[in-house]
Amino acid sequence: MAQPPYPPARQRRTLSPDTRHLLWSVAPGVVWIVIFLVLPSLYLIGVAFMTNGPYGQPQMPLSLESFRQLAGFGFLGWSPGNLYTLLRSLWQTVIATGLVILIAYPLAYHISISPRQWRAIMLLAVVVPSWTNQVIRAFGWMNLLSPGTPLSQVAQFFGLIGPNMGLYPSNFAVTLGLIYNFLPFMVLPLYAAFEKLDAGLIEAARDLYASPVRAFWHAVFPQTLSGLLAGTVLVSIPAFGMYVVPELLGGGRAMMLGSLVAGQFSGGSNWPLGAAGALIMLLATLGGLYAMRKVGRRLGGGEEVVI
Amino acid sequence: MKRTPFTRGLSVFWWLMIAFLYLPLGVIVLYSFNSANSAAFFAGFSLRWYERLLGNDQLLTALGNTLALGVASSVIALVIGTLIGYGMYRHRGRKLGWLVALIYLPIVMPDIVFGISEMAFFITMDREFGILGPSLATMIIAHVTFQIPFVALIVYSRFVGLDPTLFEAAKDLYASPAQRARHFLLPTLKPSLIAAFFLAFTLSIDDFVISFFTAGPENATLPIYIWGAIRRGVSPEINAIATLMILTVAIAAVISLLFNKEGRRS
Repeated sequence: MAQPPYPPARQRRTLSPDTRHLLWSVAPGVVWIVIFLVLPSLYLIGVAFMTNGPYGQPQMPLSLESFRQLAGFGFLGWSPGNLYTLLRSLWQTVIATGLVILIAYPLAYHISISPRQWRAIMLLAVVVPSWTNQVIRAFGWMNLLSPGTPLSQVAQFFGLIGPNMGLYPSNFAVTLGLIYNFLPFMVLPLYAAFEKLDAGLIEAARDLYASPVRAFWHAVFPQTLSGLLAGTVLVSIPAFGMYVVPELLGGGRAMMLGSLVAGQFSGGSNWPLGAAGALIMLLATLGGLYAMRKVGRRLGGGEEVVI
Repeated sequence: MKRTPFTRGLSVFWWLMIAFLYLPLGVIVLYSFNSANSAAFFAGFSLRWYERLLGNDQLLTALGNTLALGVASSVIALVIGTLIGYGMYRHRGRKLGWLVALIYLPIVMPDIVFGISEMAFFITMDREFGILGPSLATMIIAHVTFQIPFVALIVYSRFVGLDPTLFEAAKDLYASPAQRARHFLLPTLKPSLIAAFFLAFTLSIDDFVISFFTAGPENATLPIYIWGAIRRGVSPEINAIATLMILTVAIAAVISLLFNKEGRRS
């Protein structure tokens, strides 16, 4: 865009029409997001450092009480419940992300070597289920895993679960639900990486008698690293904060951080404790994005996150 | 592509995973036509659960709320998001990193943190100033907040695909800003705007967590109603209403895709 030829003196005093145009067009959205998302988030961060009032309302003075509670210190001394929840969230996130990576690699590769006219349809086929409401998707798994269903009977036959039990509620059902929810988020960026793959390198590796495993590890894997990284952030951050899946598929013993946070704002009514949990999720989000930018820069071309 | 055992294995894995992805949805659709009240076996075809839906006032209210919320929020987000997308494009030569970061914020923020910070904010505003008490209005505000970025990005990417000289041409022909908007911008944007609207609408219908935390007691949407019904104990009616929602989302999504494609092609 050509800058309007105004003398510099005038530009310093008033906004140039160009700047005014920019402000006029983006201001409504910027103001909206600042008032209705940035301010509330800052408020929530503030609440995390307040004290819990008698009715679950945050009060002064500022303290680190909520973080002590999150670490398990309560009126009755220390209990490991909250820490277990934190660790379980972390564990579920790591397991689900790892499995999603293992499943998504062959899928993305398969799409990238399919006939060109099919690829868009195949990607669509992977993505479409994630367009339905997540409550409904979790409900679908409840239908499939509840006691008496074929899958539960198979599991009983092999002695994986007791008689008259279902595969849900359980930690297994939560992992399954997480994989189901986030698989598309990994397939898309990996596919984008495979699409750009330099096939010559693989052929060269094979010509030099590299085994398929070595060819993958040395010729393919490094080239898909930026996609893998984007996918890992897109999967692990929302998985860590997942609320619906552990609530519906996990039952009481498979609680994750999301449920702990939500509970403090409804039944439990301890806003500062809930806000402290939310702050951890926010920090995890920012950390993930920062790590991705950092590593992405070093790899080159890590900025293009596919959403 | 040569068919080797490896590629054949890939193909088998592909179809297994497609089954994995569609099984839970297929089961919901199948059981919505089940004549027996069971999730374990299919007794026979019947429409009784769909008939029951029609007599369920709570559910019809939830449907109304869902549609009102979806349409109202999408319209507002369309206007605000289009302006941002336009501004981002016209001033893409400047350093707009802060704007991009701000636009990505609603996308990357975990939805539970999003929902809870808005809820805490709205409740506090209500207590201190008597405004923004949880209601349909607060839900619309929250939905617009997460819809804006998607609209802005669709519109922006449409502009990027345009020939920049078109803007100069319109200016050279002495078209006033209003004329340029009417005869050049809006017609070229139309498919993208329709796509953006339907994407925003789909996002709104799809959302549960943010609605759940910003809703007043009387503003249950369909996902909130379904959530409550599941928690109270599963009723086969849920399969029927869920099937209708799967259908609605699929249709809206296909419309959005078609128009977005058309927008890119022209």
